[in-house]
Amino acid sequence: MSARSAAQRIRKAIAVVNAVVDGAGDEEITPTEIAEAIRDCLEMAELAAVPNVRKYLGEALDATSDGMPADFVAMTLYAALGALQEGLPS
Amino acid sequence: MRSAEGRGRTLDEAVDSALIELGETRRNVDVRVVRESSDETVVEVTVMEAPDAAGESPVNGKAETVRTLLEGLLKHMGVRASVQVRVGSDPITLDVTGRDLGALIGWRGETLRALQSVTNVMVGKHLNEGERVIVDVERYRQRREHTVREIALRAARQVKMTGDAITLDAMQAFERRAIHLALEGDPDVTSSSIGEDPDRRVVVGPRKPADA
Repeated sequence: MSARSAAQRIRKAIAVVNAVVDGAGDEEITPTEIAEAIRDCLEMAELAAVPNVRKYLGEALDATSDGMPADFVAMTLYAALGALQEGLPS
Repeated sequence: MRSAEGRGRTLDEAVDSALIELGETRRNVDVRVVRESSDETVVEVTVMEAPDAAGESPVNGKAETVRTLLEGLLKHMGVRASVQVRVGSDPITLDVTGRDLGALIGWRGETLRALQSVTNVMVGKHLNEGERVIVDVERYRQRREHTVREIALRAARQVKMTGDAITLDAMQAFERRAIHLALEGDPDVTSSSIGEDPDRRVVVGPRKPADA
């Protein structure tokens, strides 16, 4: 799996959280689904080589389990996405 | 607030006629569709008033606190921009304006969305439970909402003509929300969403008798 698809997976998790925050009114998203999307990101082996990405993803997962506001989870996922982009070879 | 009614064969024509009467551009107005039929569309166009020149706007203390916090955040980011509270907005909406703020909007509004998340985390303790702040940069969000609303109305017209459902492009939750709201009062069409984020799409289809 490439770094690009890793970013896509994190973006997917962010989109799920943002859907909760923005309340489109066309889907019911549970914390379990958010946690699942974050776990999907954590499973990506190539992220081990990029500093901080797994740390932020872990924090986002903890925040979801702790019932933290969706904005906080989203912010932490953005941090993971930023760390991934910073850590990629240019 | 100044407003004017516009009429035309299409939504664009109706909006344009109201804009000419007001002497305004699309960027500074809010559009509400009053009536739409196959031969005429009627809209109400309202000019969004900017805070007065003295910088004093009729916003509450909470909004002012939030505004100051966002201004501080932007300053730390090295972004030269001014932040104003949109008058009469509920939830509190902060308008960020300045030069070359494209980077603050980012790809498909991603950076703007991140900025909004960070802002809400920062200001959370000043807000009531469930209350949120909307951040808009150069009215990007508002313009995008207008665009998707126009897409929705166009799709609805086509559905009424052909009787076939239309699947729109993948959209963010706030855009899908704008579409559902634009079509909720239409007795002939219905909107629903399919797929998973970030590829979730709105489907506009004919309303069945049982849905009415």
